[in-house]
Amino acid sequence: MFPGVQALDQASLYVAPGEIHGLVGENGAGKSTIIKVLAGVYARDSGTVTINGTAYDTLTPASVHAAGVRFIHQELHLVPHFTVAESVFMGQEISGVFGIDRKTMNARASAFLSETLHVDIAPNTLIRDLGIAERKLVQIARALIDNKARIVVFDEPTAPLAMAEIEQLFAAIRRLKERGIAIIYVSHYLGEITQLCDRVTVFRNGKDVAVEDNIDDASSDSIIRHMVGRALDALYPTKHHAVEAPILKLSGLTSEGQFSGIDLTVGKGEIVGLGGLIGSGREELTDTIYGLKQPTSGSIELGGRELTISTPSTAVAAGIVLVPRDRRHDGLVLDLSVGDNINLASLEEIADLWLENRRSAARRSDALSEKLDIRPRNSSAITRFLSGGNQQKVVLARWLATGSKVFILDEPTVGVDIGAKVEIYQLIEDLAAQGAGIIISSSDPAELLGLCDRVAVLMRGRMIADRPTDTLDIDSLIALTTGFEATGDAA
Amino acid sequence: MSLVTETNSTTMRNFLVRYGFLVIIAAFFAFFSLYTGSFLSGTNLLNIIEGSSILLILALGMTLVVALGGIDLSVGIAFDMGAAFAIVAMKDFNAAWYVAIMIGIGGGAIVGLLNAFLVVKLSVSPFLATLGTFFIGSSVQRIFTGGGGPISHRRAPMEYRNLAIGDVFGIPSEVIIAAVVLIIYFVFLEWSIFGKRIHAIGLQKTAALVAGIKVNKYVALGFIIAAATCAIGGMIGSANLRMFTPLAGFSYLLDAIAAVFIGASIHPHGRPNVPGTLIGVLFLGMVANGLNLMGLDFNTKDALSGLILVGALAIAVAQKRWR
Amino acid sequence: MVGYLPLAIFVVLLVYLSFTAPNYFSFQSLDLILRQAIPTVVVCLGLSVVVMAGGNDVVSGGIDLSIPATAVMSAAIIADQVTNHGTPIAIAFALALIAALIVGAVNALLVVRIGMTPLLATLSVSVAVVGIVKVITSSRRINVDHPVVVWLRDGSIAGVSVGVILTTILFLIFFFVVHRTRWGMNLQAVGGSRDAAEISGIPTGRFLSQSFVVAAFAGGLASMFVLARGSGSTPGTEENLLLEMVLATFLGAAFSPRRVVTLWGAVLGAVLVTALSIGFKSIGVNVFWTGCIKGALILVVVASASLSLRASARGHAA
Repeated sequence: MFPGVQALDQASLYVAPGEIHGLVGENGAGKSTIIKVLAGVYARDSGTVTINGTAYDTLTPASVHAAGVRFIHQELHLVPHFTVAESVFMGQEISGVFGIDRKTMNARASAFLSETLHVDIAPNTLIRDLGIAERKLVQIARALIDNKARIVVFDEPTAPLAMAEIEQLFAAIRRLKERGIAIIYVSHYLGEITQLCDRVTVFRNGKDVAVEDNIDDASSDSIIRHMVGRALDALYPTKHHAVEAPILKLSGLTSEGQFSGIDLTVGKGEIVGLGGLIGSGREELTDTIYGLKQPTSGSIELGGRELTISTPSTAVAAGIVLVPRDRRHDGLVLDLSVGDNINLASLEEIADLWLENRRSAARRSDALSEKLDIRPRNSSAITRFLSGGNQQKVVLARWLATGSKVFILDEPTVGVDIGAKVEIYQLIEDLAAQGAGIIISSSDPAELLGLCDRVAVLMRGRMIADRPTDTLDIDSLIALTTGFEATGDAA
Repeated sequence: MSLVTETNSTTMRNFLVRYGFLVIIAAFFAFFSLYTGSFLSGTNLLNIIEGSSILLILALGMTLVVALGGIDLSVGIAFDMGAAFAIVAMKDFNAAWYVAIMIGIGGGAIVGLLNAFLVVKLSVSPFLATLGTFFIGSSVQRIFTGGGGPISHRRAPMEYRNLAIGDVFGIPSEVIIAAVVLIIYFVFLEWSIFGKRIHAIGLQKTAALVAGIKVNKYVALGFIIAAATCAIGGMIGSANLRMFTPLAGFSYLLDAIAAVFIGASIHPHGRPNVPGTLIGVLFLGMVANGLNLMGLDFNTKDALSGLILVGALAIAVAQKRWR
Repeated sequence: MVGYLPLAIFVVLLVYLSFTAPNYFSFQSLDLILRQAIPTVVVCLGLSVVVMAGGNDVVSGGIDLSIPATAVMSAAIIADQVTNHGTPIAIAFALALIAALIVGAVNALLVVRIGMTPLLATLSVSVAVVGIVKVITSSRRINVDHPVVVWLRDGSIAGVSVGVILTTILFLIFFFVVHRTRWGMNLQAVGGSRDAAEISGIPTGRFLSQSFVVAAFAGGLASMFVLARGSGSTPGTEENLLLEMVLATFLGAAFSPRRVVTLWGAVLGAVLVTALSIGFKSIGVNVFWTGCIKGALILVVVASASLSLRASARGHAA
């Protein structure tokens, strides 16, 4: 599986019934490998696996399932045109004399959802009509419906969720814990780990380097120290850029049914944060500025000139670029090389008369690869096989190469490990210091506060606040995005 | 996770996996050479190349569309339109031969324009869009020719006829035309920055869009250029017989698709590519020629070439998968 | 509402024909339409199963273009055996079904084991099968006047054609298996999201393989109706059947509000396309125009379907 690489080195993990056990580590630390060994996907060379007192020599997906281990994968893996009940019972349908017994399936699915997960979703609803959070719950229900689960592994379950939805999920996980189910919770979000978990195992370089008991908010410093092997003085760079004249100005930007009347100004050298829950219109707004969607009214001005942005190519030509939230789907051509992905938006500059000059292409991508510390330092590596952090750096490198004026970054550090996160933050700060205007759309309040000069908050398609970050703290920002603070004080 | 030790058997396997398809080509080549005396003669090998020229031109057009992530079931219609427009322009409008060629290319481009409109503007999937174009194009030909009779133009100018029967220093002109198209496509798709963008679109359309590539423009132009290319093939076909034969292009469709996919299968990353398409075309041409020389009856020959096609494609794909 | 636009286009055309064509909406012409549609309906059932298991994407998802060739091959085997060798029709039919199943197994092997895209695999298999048909029949027409075939063509029970009754029963069996059994639900799960199915412990490869075998079996069954409609085996029947099958099945997908291939959609598509063909013929439209009309139809319907899907997607958060 990993030729020449020892992915795990004498690693141990102990999980007790009725506990929520956090599993953290940077990308490549071995946490996903140990999960895959447990799932029976990878074979181990040595060591033992004991589930509920029984030692298992060889693990297969089937034997693991029979032992009561369930996995809630990061991806939802649901069929859009199936109903909730059909999805919950997928692979374990109930059959009667006249074939599939939809009535019983509906009743049991809806009972399980309301009793165990405390949500009321009609079992006949199609998956495609559900929100992301509800889909996540359906996915959990599918893993647990047979009531035989003893260990449930959650792999980054909150990545697509907004704050309030995360609370709903956590409540469900805590109820599972009360039933004596052992829970392994894998996440990059240390805030969630400290909030939810009873114990935490930290992985580094294929080993378990620490087990932290008695988790509270103060534990995160020591967890970070164990993860990176040294103390991180600061996650966020110090802000020392000066904000100059406005470069991007949105006036009354409206997209029917998505957002309306958005006024927002970004100055040269300014980092503006965009907060808001999923469905607040945040994603649609950034997509519209970039030309992926069309506004119904309002205007976009760049450097004082009004622009009609009909496609991303117009935006790029004008100097506006987007780092999309789903980098594997929208950001990168995964089967092209790192070098090709870096050069993809500036091919004219590496061409002699329309023909690619491979030497100058390599020179250019190698230089950027060096500058951003992309690993492996090999421009002909296929992008698919890079870690999340390095993939994100490839997207950033591409846009650095174009010398753009406005950078829109949508969830720039989702699925990125802490080391790469710090580097990406520094890069953003450097860009601002060089006079670029930056919009960061993020669901991580700490990121917005740590990085931005101002934060604009969207709620149900309207901008309800636009404030300097030094007037906000984590609590007040969360209160704003979730609607706990009175509205009407928009700048 | 022990280290793999190189043994003779694994090197043999690696060799087969990497060059498996070339081994098959060599095997067929050897078989035909031994079985039929006339296969391995210079004239016959030139026959194979000459006989493959039109298919190569169509397959190159198909390569472009498949590289963009689509498929074109209407290459045969573009082929027919090229022939029809050129012949009718000369016969009924007394167009000069070079004007007729331009008109023929334009006739093919119209087919591509329809495909482009359907795919880009109306978001119809390329398979269904070009299938619809195929239906309409076939029907239009039947209506226009009163049911499918050929349009003959015996007095076609010599220059036009030379598209098929002329030669330069003994090399048949259709081979030269196909070689020129081949080189243009090779430079365009494999070396130019346009080719880079085309491959990016074919691999991941939204990522290409977000990278600022004008995806719609490339897809539209891809269909139009591919169809115009096929029209060149059609004109060569019509120059040979001095007539437009309705629906003649259909017979090239499957071979063109097969050639592109054989070519993609022998590419390290499974991408459609120009050299691969050339190998695919030559393989198909060699098999057709060899079976002919074996003197089999018409029906057996059809059945055998179908089975060989299935087997060759299966091996080409399996080889990529086991790599 | 916009979801039913494609269907509405058809209804408008049929209403127009019913006013223009004489006796268009009589029982006889309805029976004629249904009888004409039978072979297409049966192969469409097979194709629908493959698309359901492989997913809706025409190029990378599930498709089987070899069903019509399989049907014609089976018909050729029966015709050759019965007419040229005097084999009892039951044995000939059994031989034909076995041959069809072998074709299905080859498709399954190529797609699931070797990893060819279904479009490419089944297209090339289709060519090979047509070649085999030529060897069997020497590219000649073989007449069949066996009573069973004549009964399938002309027989009727309580005024309804035997073929129509048998096809209805076949449709009901397919419908039950696909929508009311665990096998069918798992098959749909595999097509809806292969990852989801795999995670739920459904053996996706096995279901894909089985879908090709079922499709080939449908092709084998269709052979009898092909023989009945043509009173024997005729070379070249597969081309038209292929076009009609693809047209009907994807029209059916455009009819369904969710834009997925369904059994009832495919059957409806097959019947409506036949109805239009017969309707146009009866009002004296030149037969050369049929392809043009069908082509335009599939484009209009599919384009309106994809445009309306795009419009409704705009209403949701991406």
